[in-house]
Amino acid sequence: MRSLEPWVEAPLTAFLAESGARLTLLMTSAGQVVAQHGFVRSLDVMSAAALGAGIMAATSELARVMETAPLESVTHQGKALGLYLAAFGTPRGRWIGLVVYGSETSLGLVQLFFARLVDDLSRTAPAELPPRQVLAEDFEHELNSSLRSLFGR
Amino acid sequence: MSSLHSVLGELTPLPGVRGALVVSRADGLVVADALREDVDGRAVAALAASLADRMAGVTRALGQPEPVAWQLVGSEGLLLAAPTREDLLVVVVADPAVNAGELRLRVLRAAERAA
Amino acid sequence: MPLVNFTTREITCKLVYYGPGRSGKTSNLLYIHGRVPADRRGNMVSLATQSDRTLFFDFLPLELGVISGFTTRFQLYTVPGQVYYNATRRLVLQGADGVVFVADSQARRFDDNLESFQDLQENLLAQGVDVRQLPLVLQYNKQDLPPDLILTRNDLDDALNFRSVPSLAADALHGSGVFETLKALSSLVLQRLATQPPAAER
Repeated sequence: MRSLEPWVEAPLTAFLAESGARLTLLMTSAGQVVAQHGFVRSLDVMSAAALGAGIMAATSELARVMETAPLESVTHQGKALGLYLAAFGTPRGRWIGLVVYGSETSLGLVQLFFARLVDDLSRTAPAELPPRQVLAEDFEHELNSSLRSLFGR
Repeated sequence: MSSLHSVLGELTPLPGVRGALVVSRADGLVVADALREDVDGRAVAALAASLADRMAGVTRALGQPEPVAWQLVGSEGLLLAAPTREDLLVVVVADPAVNAGELRLRVLRAAERAA
Repeated sequence: MPLVNFTTREITCKLVYYGPGRSGKTSNLLYIHGRVPADRRGNMVSLATQSDRTLFFDFLPLELGVISGFTTRFQLYTVPGQVYYNATRRLVLQGADGVVFVADSQARRFDDNLESFQDLQENLLAQGVDVRQLPLVLQYNKQDLPPDLILTRNDLDDALNFRSVPSLAADALHGSGVFETLKALSSLVLQRLATQPPAAER
């Protein structure tokens, strides 16, 4: 598991144990990854987050066009895997959860324990943001050499 | 299939019954319910479906057919569930003082009717 | 601001390619995808129509490497250019750390560029983003076309670059100017990060 801040880890660990989910990804509504479990490549997790945030954004927009209340979740049941996508409020802003689960659990269990995860996150979020830190002085120099190395010019 | 709500309607009048549900076994979701306000149907459905799978696993391991009903007894109440032939579960949540024999008969009948 | 994880020492920046329809936004990402080593990029995700017009967005994650001890990643997005996809553009633009405006250098697309640029400013304002603060780079694409069909970089600067941001000529299909544009924007975004202490979360 990887998470942006340590306080996310305990609620997420409990959710994973209770729900039996295979992959879980928490992201901001802009598609930035906050925490994840089960993805191997960081680049794959970013693609999943971009698509998940895109689906929820499109769903919210659809609800707005239809003049109905924002839709809270989207589920997709495949043959072998199910996908549960839900938006929720946290003290740190609106987040989105993406859960992939298999036949060893069920959508009902995922939904049930996801609701508890949302409660746990709201309860355990520290009131204060972590202290701001500055990047090292040599950041700009290293940035230029990294850009040269990636782009080869 | 008979109306699922009429099936539930035969369970809830029994004194001590706090609620009855028909649950989809595959996804643990509520298909129909008749519940008192203090019963979290969503949680009951998800956990009962999960338990049903585990129970079936246990009886399979023992070389037995799938159970026709199972009962969980706690200090503050009981949960009785019976699978139907349509991959559904009839689930009842009741107080400890409920007439358990009568409830069991009604749940088995309801599972037959819900099939 | 980019998402900075001080615990795992990671920086993630969201960069959006904006511009009128068929100006070459997807071509920029395709070229980058084709040239960056596979271990430094993820798969390119394209939500396109059957005729390959971007329907929702294209997405390409890139790993820049370690800078000052921080593993630095870019998320490159394009928006659909057609006028009627404005709702989608607003969604993709949300939380952007920097924008490349890809203008079509053809003289006949001059009004489309202006309209799209205005649309960008309106959508940023609607999201409470100060357009003067957001890192922005202009790319004048299709500069490989015959001179009588296109406007020069100076002409386009006069029309679009009133903030004097970096502007580059490009031929995205063949790669000229593509990496230079990305490098210019990455540099602006990360330099801003170095000079302004980042929030750990958005």
